[in-house]
Amino acid sequence: MTETKKTGKPSRVIDVLLILMMVLPLLAAVVLKVLYTPESKGVDIHGALVYYAAEGADISQVISGDLIITEAQINSWLVIISITGFCLFLTHGLEEHAHSARQHLAEWLVEKAESLVSGNMGDFHLYITPFIMAMMGLSVFSSLMSLLGVFAPTSDLSVVFGWAVLVFFLILIAKICCGPKVFVKSMTADGPVVAALNFIGDFSTPVSMAFRHYGNVMSGAVIGVLVASFLQWLSRTVFGGIGAAFPLLQIGLPGILSIYFDVFSGGLQAFIFAMLTMLNLGGAFPLEDWLKRHDRRRKEKQAAQQTV
Amino acid sequence: MQSQQIISVNLWQIVISLCNLIILFLIVRRFLYKPVKKVLAQRQAHVDGVYEEADEARRRAEADQAAWAERMTHAREEADAIISRAAENARMNSDLMVSDAKNRADGIVRQAEEEALLTRQKAEEGIRRELAGVSAELAEKVLGREINESDHRALIDSFIDELEDSRDADQ
Repeated sequence: MTETKKTGKPSRVIDVLLILMMVLPLLAAVVLKVLYTPESKGVDIHGALVYYAAEGADISQVISGDLIITEAQINSWLVIISITGFCLFLTHGLEEHAHSARQHLAEWLVEKAESLVSGNMGDFHLYITPFIMAMMGLSVFSSLMSLLGVFAPTSDLSVVFGWAVLVFFLILIAKICCGPKVFVKSMTADGPVVAALNFIGDFSTPVSMAFRHYGNVMSGAVIGVLVASFLQWLSRTVFGGIGAAFPLLQIGLPGILSIYFDVFSGGLQAFIFAMLTMLNLGGAFPLEDWLKRHDRRRKEKQAAQQTV
Repeated sequence: MQSQQIISVNLWQIVISLCNLIILFLIVRRFLYKPVKKVLAQRQAHVDGVYEEADEARRRAEADQAAWAERMTHAREEADAIISRAAENARMNSDLMVSDAKNRADGIVRQAEEEALLTRQKAEEGIRRELAGVSAELAEKVLGREINESDHRALIDSFIDELEDSRDADQ
């Protein structure tokens, strides 16, 4: 079943390698977590572990500009590698007559994403579909990392804020793509007060998006830790020494809560983040002005060609 | 191992995260979106081709059908024409035969009538001549003298005519 046979079937060896590419990063994340998590006692809610810090970096600061590499970044990269493997696995051995389930899944994903984009932004903006797919994939899989017991990158504010900043730049580009004149006119059309509000709104969009996503995932993690530590205390008081060694009451309830906070909330926040991105981008882009400009440019070009 | 504050913002992390998303966008576009779109476009082209072929085949079939229908109506008209022509021929032939037969029968009848008339005239003539001879002889013998043959004949003729008239009147 190798490719040298040219039977048209995807090679099993490559499949296995790609599945390993999907699974190994997740295992690596778990191993890193197990190796580097410091022993803790009682309720310990903290941010990402810092694996590397530049000379003289002050980690305890809330807002810092020092170069540090944390769990969030490492896990993000592992998720990216895993998603890359997933994409390669899905598109491995694509053929015109789809027989494999993975091809159906790949086509389903692309078509769903396209219908989502065209439904929210219109068919003109279909080029943004892979960006939305990447955003949702990264967000969902980052949130689901917490199912493996490792640090979910989406529960780090900087990570989500980075995405929101990117969205902010995209919105800015969409607004000024028709030239600064149209941009200034659209901002100041309704007087200076509204212009100031527009300005504030543009900056607050990424902040609100970032805090919404981060807050939801983080709060889930915090509630999980609180419930788990409460159940640990309860099992110690109920069962005594055995309960302290084996917190039996921790079985069950945290798992059920995890279904909501990790799976449902993670997926929902990814969806909301992508939806807000699409709506803001679609609303920011002055399609009529752009089409007019495009039309005018084409006519000018034709006129120039005719004179030549 | 140290850890960050639970709420903390780091400029480098923001930049790295931003780049991560761009990189994943490029990866998804290169390794998932474009290959799938390519396959979908290929399939669409194939399907369009198949549809076109089907339309073409259907058009051809319809044209064939129309041609056949036309031919069928022509054939029916032709058959009708042939049948009516044959019927006409047959009728003409039969008319011809009947009239021919009638003509011949008429000819035969007429000939027979003429022959009968001729025979009768001959017979009448013979009888008349004989009767004239006999009566002349008889009168010669009775009168003992020669009478004028022609006067005699006229006399006899008138006599016979009278006889015939009386016979006709009796009848």
